[in-house]
Amino acid sequence: MRLPGIACLVVSLAFARPRDAAAASGADTVVVFTAASLAVPIRAALDSFARRTGAVVQQENGASLELARRITELGRVPDVIALADQEVFAQLLVPRVASWYVRFARNRMVVAFTGRSKGAAQIGPANWHRVLSRPDVCVGRSDPRLAPVGYRTLLLYRLAEGYYHLPGLASRLEAQTPPALIRANASELVALLQAGELDYIVDYESLARANRLRFVTLPPQIDLGDPARASQYARATVRVARRTDTTTYAGAPIVYGASVPRAAPHAAAGHRFLRYLLSPEGQAVLRAHAVDALRMPELVGDSVPPALRATRR
Amino acid sequence: MSDAAVRGRGTHRVAAAGVVAGAVLLLALLGLPIVALLLRGGVSGLGQLGSDRELRAALWLTAQTATVATLLAMLLGTPLAYLLARGRMPAGALVGALLDLPLLIPHPVAGMALLLAFGRASPAGAALAQIGLAVVGSRTGIVLAMLFVAAPLYVSAAREAIARVDERYESVARTLGDSPVRAVWRVTRPLAGRGLVAAAVVMWARAVSEFGAIVILTYNPKVASVLSYDRFTGEGLDAALPVAAVLVILALVPLLVLRSLRAGTALGEPAR
Repeated sequence: MRLPGIACLVVSLAFARPRDAAAASGADTVVVFTAASLAVPIRAALDSFARRTGAVVQQENGASLELARRITELGRVPDVIALADQEVFAQLLVPRVASWYVRFARNRMVVAFTGRSKGAAQIGPANWHRVLSRPDVCVGRSDPRLAPVGYRTLLLYRLAEGYYHLPGLASRLEAQTPPALIRANASELVALLQAGELDYIVDYESLARANRLRFVTLPPQIDLGDPARASQYARATVRVARRTDTTTYAGAPIVYGASVPRAAPHAAAGHRFLRYLLSPEGQAVLRAHAVDALRMPELVGDSVPPALRATRR
Repeated sequence: MSDAAVRGRGTHRVAAAGVVAGAVLLLALLGLPIVALLLRGGVSGLGQLGSDRELRAALWLTAQTATVATLLAMLLGTPLAYLLARGRMPAGALVGALLDLPLLIPHPVAGMALLLAFGRASPAGAALAQIGLAVVGSRTGIVLAMLFVAAPLYVSAAREAIARVDERYESVARTLGDSPVRAVWRVTRPLAGRGLVAAAVVMWARAVSEFGAIVILTYNPKVASVLSYDRFTGEGLDAALPVAAVLVILALVPLLVLRSLRAGTALGEPAR
């Protein structure tokens, strides 16, 4: 019977695994869930970690909230999870999935554009809100219900309204993005910007740099990038209505968080990678990819593993 | 009975058992996830139909756009399938192979490729936008994405269906005075009809399920697949499953109707 023979061969080939380095040498395996805006810098850190330790690394990227749901709803547990918003840990992951997390980097909001965006020649830190309000300009933003960058955009608009003393500015800017130009996360916005479909997107500085976009740096009073201005940012709030509930988000500095879930299959390896990420060397890799790594990473929560406690300053 | 005959019967029995086991295994692989989906989300999904306007709108939008995409594929794809089946297409083998390419492209990449080709920055997209058919954030984008990922399935199945109809029937009709187009319409179309409907059913179902390409072009207004992803991300599994379950339940209705229609419209087995 030739056909079943071929079928068996195909099936066995499909399930056969090449002898991977980890199995052969007993090296670590590290599976990392990464927020889309951290994908490139964490990839670089993972690669250099793999070179030094021989570990086998795997990365899955997505929106921060979606990654958290993969753990809580689908029971798929990684060894390390690195998210764009430490708030997601508080909302969904601590204490159910992990008892602690570490604040390891910060970011700021920018207005990103390309050379062919309308008004690209005129836009700057002083007039960005006027360019974005122009009726002929297409502005994209992320869905505030799904991505932290989405509600942070709305918080930025509210802070700008107060900072520039322009009543109504926030709702004007918000209305500049019709539902058709909202996307689930920041990476899809970048694709639309690069394809020329959008003129401007409101996004993280690290993502703008990673994608080699031009961008306007905004005043620190409104860009959510300065940890020292937490109380100032907190004056802005935004209500995000979902089908079953409404969440109020207050402005807060953008701080990235990472953790090793309690049920991580390779927890020890996860701790080793995180320790590397927080070391001066790991931080240098992050900084080389435009992520503003915190000089003093902060551990939040209980039962911090001994391997990481040394990083608490 | 000779030993050989007994051995022969034993082999047959093993083969028959193998066939049944294989069929059962595949049915389980295909069926269990759907059963699990319906058990977990079916009842609450149907319950939500009454109260959840966003869900109703997404289902209605999905049905409309998938139907428009399928009708467009039939309108534009059947002549192409005919030319390919009858070997009248210049470089037919090459065109046939190119038609399989959209099936190979990962769907988010397909969305990006559509954006580059038909976004407002492209000449084609600028022209489309002029006549009110902008592809980003619109129904046009949804239909375009569905066409791109599913029309090749229609064309290739339609080509097979037409190829099964003997060309000599058309010749006979023409000797009896029909024009070439009329001969195809009166003879080949009804004989290939079952196959064409089957091809359309597959295309429609594939279009209904599309997510990756659509979410790049048109996140809002949301089709059912995007809404289900959206609810998973924003609210979790128990909010996402009812959307998918109700989509499966409702899509089953037109699929069953078309399948029975297909059996009913049969005009005899096509001759070999």
